Amino acid sequence: MRRRTPLSSRRLGLAPVAWIAFILYGMFLLYPLVRSFLFSFTDRSPLQTDSDFVGLDNYRELLSDDRLMDSLMFTGIVVVSVTVVANAAGLLLAMILNRSTANYRVMRTLIFIPQVLSGVVVGFIWRSLLTQNGLLNQLLEQIGVIDEPVAWLGSSGLATFSICAVVSWVTIAFATVVYTASLQSVPRELYEAARMDGTGAFGRFRHVTLPMVAPGMTISVVLCLITTLKLYDVIAVLTGGGPANSTESTALYLVNVAFTGNRFGYASAIAMLLLALTAVVSYVVTSLLRRREVSL
Amino acid sequence: MSRSASIHRPSAQRPSLRGGARLTGAWAVTLVFVLPVYVAFVSAFKTQEQILSNPAAPPAPFTFDNITEALQRPDNLVQAGLLNSILVTVATLVIVIPLSSALAFYVSERSPRIRGALLALFALGLMVPPQVVLLPIVLQLQDLGLSNSYTGLILSNVGGGYLSFAVFVYVGFLRSVPREVIEAARVDGAGDLRVWWRIIFPVVRPATATVGIFLGLWVWNDFLNPQFILGPLQGQTITTGIYVSLGAYSTDYSHLFAIMFLAAVIPVVGYLVSQREFIHGLMSGASR
Repeated sequence: MRRRTPLSSRRLGLAPVAWIAFILYGMFLLYPLVRSFLFSFTDRSPLQTDSDFVGLDNYRELLSDDRLMDSLMFTGIVVVSVTVVANAAGLLLAMILNRSTANYRVMRTLIFIPQVLSGVVVGFIWRSLLTQNGLLNQLLEQIGVIDEPVAWLGSSGLATFSICAVVSWVTIAFATVVYTASLQSVPRELYEAARMDGTGAFGRFRHVTLPMVAPGMTISVVLCLITTLKLYDVIAVLTGGGPANSTESTALYLVNVAFTGNRFGYASAIAMLLLALTAVVSYVVTSLLRRREVSL
Repeated sequence: MSRSASIHRPSAQRPSLRGGARLTGAWAVTLVFVLPVYVAFVSAFKTQEQILSNPAAPPAPFTFDNITEALQRPDNLVQAGLLNSILVTVATLVIVIPLSSALAFYVSERSPRIRGALLALFALGLMVPPQVVLLPIVLQLQDLGLSNSYTGLILSNVGGGYLSFAVFVYVGFLRSVPREVIEAARVDGAGDLRVWWRIIFPVVRPATATVGIFLGLWVWNDFLNPQFILGPLQGQTITTGIYVSLGAYSTDYSHLFAIMFLAAVIPVVGYLVSQREFIHGLMSGASR
């Protein structure tokens, strides 16, 4: 065979381009990860030039840090409630909106909009809705549910509830789209067969819909978990972590310790904890849900 | 989609009535769900008094004053923010897209074992919360003399988790590209760089759409990285700009909603225009 292409352009491989990508990934992900791990054994701070090796001191401090424990508790509440609410509501909405007419297509388009907005915008919109004389209190007073305005972000309990609701709002938008796509891949013969067997609406949901959307559920649940574990911007705007740090997520606490408290070493230990949590939760949940996909 | 319509065709005698009730119910749920978006949208065109007294009312009388005021701020926050956001988003995409598609092609051509190892390495980037690596990145950019710079922000966007996302979308898409296409180009004597540029890059256009749309949205909406990598001295992206104005004008709703409208209009219109690719990308991107 005759080769007319000049050698240089013929032999030019992709290796150099791949190396550029590897180097950037190494510089801005892998190396920072390793460095964060190493920092966690030091008392590094931007105020001093040197830092000392302190062994496991930072990790010991994690155990006795009440503010950290509160942030973990708060994060846990948000992660679990948002994942459950968003997936239940998302599946329900997807079932309601799973029609092909123009009306339903428009509704599906509208439902996804919260996902397109930045967390800062979402936080501000809800901050305005949840104030004393905001829309929510106005509506509830009009229909007579409450007599006087509720301070939705004022007490620790209500603020936690409000954060869960707002984050669910954003996450439902995402879950609905994932479940809609899953539902559209269910062959209609399955429903017809179930109907002919005399299976009722609930039975069809339980034995046809649920198993068929299992792969979509794995995606939706895992992504809900990963995004809520690193929850930051919505909270920064909505409550700033207050009142009295009651809505401070672990990710927000980590940023506060690092950049406000200037304790790089300790912040890195918190970072390792957050990383370990994310890894364990996503691994365990993925394998549980994958098993369910198979066994159903 | 026509399939799904017939699945649920009501078996009752009066399908139109049931369909009508269902349609009404579905619209009610949808409208309640997007009510906050509607309130934010109309508030940009209402006076402060209108917003406070009746947040859900339509903007009547309609006012453009908020928008004009937001655009006439002496600090130029909106225009500068939009420009900076466009710069950061476009630069990130222009670097990430060729880099990740070439890398994905390179990875796909390795032996299964090496491929597996490389993908596992890049999977890390999908999982690591950005807060975990933020501090070392800020320090590293200081060491490189890039602290508080747009170059630093763009580079850390390019090398971080976004790269992982892009690589996974491309690797997934490349599985569906027939081997013959690649082999045919090789037989003609083209090197891998040439094959990538002439054959692969055009073929993976749908994956490029997915990567472009999602990374564009994420970079545009990103708050954490610009907040700490750029810092307050170097100006703002539009997203951190909103946050700064929130502190300064915490209760001046008409002003804040106008800024918010100007910040959100690009991603929302972008979503409405590219909806089909958006939803398709969400599924193909998420299923890996």
